[in-house]
Amino acid sequence: MKKNRTKIIIILAAIGLSLYFLYPTYQDYQYTTTLNELTGADSVAFFEEHEDKIRSARLQRMKLGLDLQGGMRVVLEVDILRLLEELAENKDDQFEQLLAAARTEVAGTDEAALDVFARRFQDAGIRLSRYYGSIRDTDEQILRNLRRDADGAIDRAIQIVRNRVDQYGVAEPGIQRMGARRIIVELPGVTNEEEVRQLLQGTAMLEFKLLREPDIVLNVIERIDSYLAQERQDPETVDDIDPDTLDTPEFDPELTEEDLRQQHPFLYYVRPDQEGSGMSYVAEHHRERVREIVNRPEVRELMPSNFQFVFSANHHFISEGTEYYVLYSVYETPELTGGVITDAQATIDPQYNQPIVTMSMNSEGSREWARITGANIGRQIAIVLDEAVFSAPVVRSRITGGRSQIEGMANIEEARLLEIILKAGALPAPVAIVEQRTVGPSLGEDSVRRGLYSMILALGLTIMFMIVYYSTAGSIADLALLFNILFILGVLAGFQATLTLPGIAGIILTIGMAVDANVLIFERIREEQVTGKTLRAAIDSGYSKAFSAIFDANITTFMVGVILYNFGTGPIQGFALTLMIGIVASLFSAIVITRVVFDSLTERKGAKVSFG
Amino acid sequence: MRILGQTKIDFMGLRRTFFVVSLIIIMVGMGSIVLKGLEFGIDFVGGTELVVEFEEAVPVGDIRSAMTDAGFDQAVIRTFGAPQDILIRTIEMDREDERVRDIILSVLAERFPDNETIVLREDSIGPTIGAELRRDATTAIIVALLAILGYIAMRFKFVYGMGAVAAIFHDVLVAVGLLSLLHGASPYLNLEISQHIIAAFLTIIGLSVNDTVVVFDRIRENLKLYRSWSLYDVINKSINDTLSRTIITSGTVLIVLIILFVFGGEVTRGFAFTLIIGVMIGTYSSIYIASALVIEWVNRAQAKAKAAKVS
Repeated sequence: MKKNRTKIIIILAAIGLSLYFLYPTYQDYQYTTTLNELTGADSVAFFEEHEDKIRSARLQRMKLGLDLQGGMRVVLEVDILRLLEELAENKDDQFEQLLAAARTEVAGTDEAALDVFARRFQDAGIRLSRYYGSIRDTDEQILRNLRRDADGAIDRAIQIVRNRVDQYGVAEPGIQRMGARRIIVELPGVTNEEEVRQLLQGTAMLEFKLLREPDIVLNVIERIDSYLAQERQDPETVDDIDPDTLDTPEFDPELTEEDLRQQHPFLYYVRPDQEGSGMSYVAEHHRERVREIVNRPEVRELMPSNFQFVFSANHHFISEGTEYYVLYSVYETPELTGGVITDAQATIDPQYNQPIVTMSMNSEGSREWARITGANIGRQIAIVLDEAVFSAPVVRSRITGGRSQIEGMANIEEARLLEIILKAGALPAPVAIVEQRTVGPSLGEDSVRRGLYSMILALGLTIMFMIVYYSTAGSIADLALLFNILFILGVLAGFQATLTLPGIAGIILTIGMAVDANVLIFERIREEQVTGKTLRAAIDSGYSKAFSAIFDANITTFMVGVILYNFGTGPIQGFALTLMIGIVASLFSAIVITRVVFDSLTERKGAKVSFG
Repeated sequence: MRILGQTKIDFMGLRRTFFVVSLIIIMVGMGSIVLKGLEFGIDFVGGTELVVEFEEAVPVGDIRSAMTDAGFDQAVIRTFGAPQDILIRTIEMDREDERVRDIILSVLAERFPDNETIVLREDSIGPTIGAELRRDATTAIIVALLAILGYIAMRFKFVYGMGAVAAIFHDVLVAVGLLSLLHGASPYLNLEISQHIIAAFLTIIGLSVNDTVVVFDRIRENLKLYRSWSLYDVINKSINDTLSRTIITSGTVLIVLIILFVFGGEVTRGFAFTLIIGVMIGTYSSIYIASALVIEWVNRAQAKAKAAKVS
């Protein structure tokens, strides 16, 4: 036993770690089944009672791919060439021809469209300054500016999409940049094709909205709060409540969480700022709830006209691991829309060494802006993109000439983000859907059921075969096989990897392949036993002689897995991932675990282990 | 239990016969590809693919005529697993600013008004994506081949690497040929070339090399043990030594693949089928292509060396 102590510790640690990683998945499964069994009010109550646990379990469980849980995957392509076309001045036939040629060349490659475009111009011997910038600019200068615009367009498209998907309220959306000009959007559980298409392709709406007066805001929040409290206490009479006669119970900061939830159902979610700025804070996971409440028709009636709640696009601060968002209250009618913005630039203010964003407007916008800022000195104006507030600067003075300066960003990244958002008004980022895959939820469920069924059957048959063929040794290999599957699932859950249908196929294939290492070893041990070696010696030389074959064979398969992972997309990567994890896990269980078991079985003198 | 004891089969004696057998199978497969072609799935062609579940089963012919009337005479239409589930594929994604999926769904609603439909799955893929996926798949297979050649040449000898790569080539050629040959043989077996099938090909490559390496490893070991033996005898002995393992491992892998094929559902069926073919060919080729070619090449090199010495 002694010589295997380290090995045993490692094995136990691996098992413990896998169980630890898989526990949230199990928990999530339990909660989901309970929630499905309960109906109506019971399920809501259960959810509210266990909300935090349910949420954390869901966050840490093993993710299912879109092909298993249903949903949509959309690949968007930012049309850089159209952007270049829009930016160009004095366009002529030659320009159109070169653009068309570039468009043909770009199709079918992943190359940056701008590079192709610039090369076409260079080959034709035409200077870019004919269409862009001023006549004295060199090609390099213009290209640098265009590149900035092109990169900006992609960033902007990602921001716009992320913002909208966020507002749409999809759980666990995936948005990432792919290659030079594409964006992958994954929306689990969403299958309404038309809605998603509008969501992703509609034109972005940038607006400037004035914040409502703090005292009115607090009043509205209190009214909603007492309305909801009354509704909770006496759901029958809620229709008869006259909003004007609602009495506002005193807010006692000493209340427990539970009492707070009961007595102040709105203030429980929406915590007004203590300084009376009119802004409130809402935890990230309560945003959906609040959005739902403030959109109820009967709650809307509690608000004055031209009043609207809007969330900040990004979280404002993090407290105890929870992100808090700002809930702003604004005049619903915008003061100005983003079409008037001609440029925006994030820079560092040299005087104070602070990040700032400068913004310029066209002449019409400038006139309006001067009037708006002049009338609202000291108040906040929210910069709202698609119903999300990106910044709410305070007006310091009347701004004439259209050049404004926005301060108060925490860092240059935040300033860059605001620059991108502000430009959304002036420079659209035209996107086209180039790939769209939808899996309906019923097909996903069917796939999960069939996958699990096949997996259990494959496991059962393999286990039986090994016992029949290799007797005691076979059952030890089976033990290793079971641990192997535990490890694969544990690693998948631990890395928060996504399990796809091809991923399940990969696990099933691994079940068949995992016994290979043990088969190699056992066959070798049988050969060694034939030559008359003792059991221990046969086991020793069986393991050592089989090792080189096992090692070389698995490395080549692993290499194939790596290649598949790098060149495949989505679901195929899921297969490659389980294949690779499966190879490593099976080597560990088939070589290390079985060896420890054999060692402990043969420790006594004259012990017998049957190899069938 | 033992399926095989120590065997003494003269595998290599039959190698020329099996070269011919392999050649014939490959020729037939290539012939089928030329004459019948391969059906490429939506991933590689682009277009729109819908899987629609009707409340009540509709004959495929009725749907085909509806699609032809709507101007989709090139559309692929077939059942998808159950008879009420229909797969429709066109090579277009948009038609004059309208989504093809919208057109198809409205055509179906018009032609079969009392038959409620649900969209089980839909893919629309632009032509540029299709071209890229084709390129990526080709690159993946080439990179895999080179990586394996490199690794085996490093761990064994260059001839062995060549033998393993030749065996892989053989496996993929036979598998592709059989896919073309068997495509359309049964409405329940969908064998178009999709991303899943490419993944299956790469897995075949992995499994085939796996088998080959085990045999090569035994050859490497036996060459040291039996220095006086000829390469022919050593290879024969090595294949016999590992035969029991080869059969059992291929057996367990085949068992799980057959389960996946039968119970795994429509989406993984083609994948499982390709792998079943692949595992069988891979096992065969590790003996009759990889090992047999090593003998041929070594013999030829020795003959040449001898000739060079004599002259």
